[in-house]
Amino acid sequence: MSVFKDLSNAMAEAVETAGKATVLVNGRQRMPASGIAYARDYVLTANHVVERDEDIRVTLPDGMEAAASIAGRDPGSDLALLKLEKGGLTPAETGAAARVGQMVLALGRPSGEGVQASLGVVSALHGPARTARGGMLEQFIRTDAIPYPGFSGGPLVDAEGKVVGINTSGLGGGNSIAIPAALAWKVAAELKEHGSVKRGYIGVRSQLVDLPNAAKKTLGREQAQGLLVMGMEDGSPAETAGLMIGDILIGFNGQPVHDHEDLLAALTGAVVGKATPLEILRGGKVETVQITAAERKEEAPRREHRRHAMWEGRMPRGFGRRFGRHMPRHFGPRNNDE
Amino acid sequence: MSKLKGTLSAAAAEVAARLTASLALVEGRRMGAGAGVVWREDGLVLTNNHVISSRRDHARVTLADDRQFDARVLARDAEVDLALLEIEGGGEFPAARIGDSRALRVGELVFAIGHPWGLRNTVTGGIISHLTTAHTEGPRKEFSVIRTDARLAPGNSGGPLVNAAGEVVGLNAMILGGDQGIAIPSAVAQEFIAAAGVQETTAEEPTRVHAEWL
Repeated sequence: MSVFKDLSNAMAEAVETAGKATVLVNGRQRMPASGIAYARDYVLTANHVVERDEDIRVTLPDGMEAAASIAGRDPGSDLALLKLEKGGLTPAETGAAARVGQMVLALGRPSGEGVQASLGVVSALHGPARTARGGMLEQFIRTDAIPYPGFSGGPLVDAEGKVVGINTSGLGGGNSIAIPAALAWKVAAELKEHGSVKRGYIGVRSQLVDLPNAAKKTLGREQAQGLLVMGMEDGSPAETAGLMIGDILIGFNGQPVHDHEDLLAALTGAVVGKATPLEILRGGKVETVQITAAERKEEAPRREHRRHAMWEGRMPRGFGRRFGRHMPRHFGPRNNDE
Repeated sequence: MSKLKGTLSAAAAEVAARLTASLALVEGRRMGAGAGVVWREDGLVLTNNHVISSRRDHARVTLADDRQFDARVLARDAEVDLALLEIEGGGEFPAARIGDSRALRVGELVFAIGHPWGLRNTVTGGIISHLTTAHTEGPRKEFSVIRTDARLAPGNSGGPLVNAAGEVVGLNAMILGGDQGIAIPSAVAQEFIAAAGVQETTAEEPTRVHAEWL
């Protein structure tokens, strides 16, 4: 039995450790959500829970409140970085990459009554996947740990309390997933420096096609498909680069392009605004042209937040309804709590 | 690694077996049954108030070894959703070990044992998710409750929430939103039992603690 008590203690300690880096983020009307201490004065959270641009308040694990401003947003991966007016956070430690079957704890601090947690395992690792907002996630984590209301922005931690992901229900129809810590930290670093993650566009309409057998041989690598250019926007980077309808895109920036997801993932960050080699198949021959991707404009943020809010509202399906039915009135929680 | 897994499973099975011995099936309504915990060796059984119809002062108690008894309602309190039963006829019963719910920490492993959907002696596992406060319109105004992610279903009501040491730290009381279990801490239960003054009680009528809620 002592091995069991040891495990129990270890998990309580993991919650305690990670709880020191889990904060309450008050940036929307409905209910507060959670955030992770990224640096002494920076908090990483889910973009969709920060509906306001001003008057954002963060409650630290010790109960102190601090005003915060937005250092950057990336709606594509549903991440936002907040800058606190004063420091004093204990930055979270990141752990090794998640493995399927690994025991994890989802943490959140959506109320002033202390940290909350649920237990589960890493159910699956997916990706790359396109998010509903045109962003690309190289990978995301699925877990069966229960995402309690207000857990968005909080950490998914391993048995040692180290962060393996950040929870969010703001991507993909209200299902709760976690963005791997390595990816989230990369986005956070970019948000800290530039305030946004640059996503590029080249202005082509394309279709997934099988490569001709002869072309596969000349290519000399395992690639069966590419993107056939069907149309180009006037004055787009593609047109400027001299692309033609009928070209098949097969590689970008030294990486093969098997499908649209590959291209979108590659069109992120430093390549935007910089001449980059684009590998194409033209008339059966492999050619390389230089293309300068332009920056893709996101939709107006307001609309999108409302959409995310709606998604989260739907999150445990029928939550409000069932809540009302099963709950004796005199046993009800305070307002603004659940 | 496989050795650790074996040890863990054995430990879990031991905890489950120990607690199942003190688990009762409580029938106190026309429809559906709940669970209960043998709290004391002299036959005191603790369950949820909502497991027993407010019009009844008796319930049927079935122990893990399938012995059946009639039990009298000694005290009940709707505010904390607890009811105390006394097995009639006396005897010696396998009492559960009661733990201190005030020492609980978020993240601790727990088991819930009960009869979800009528499946006898079913064990589900999880952790302490949150230690919070329930606000009521009763005289207490508020009392502490435990939230757990251990899976609960109708039939778990009144059953024990057990820590890794095999001690009862709470009584499972309700499910919120389909996936959040709420348990009444053992400390609240002990206060309730103390307030009921069970040592002296021989009254015909159940002792009505906070009668305005009945």
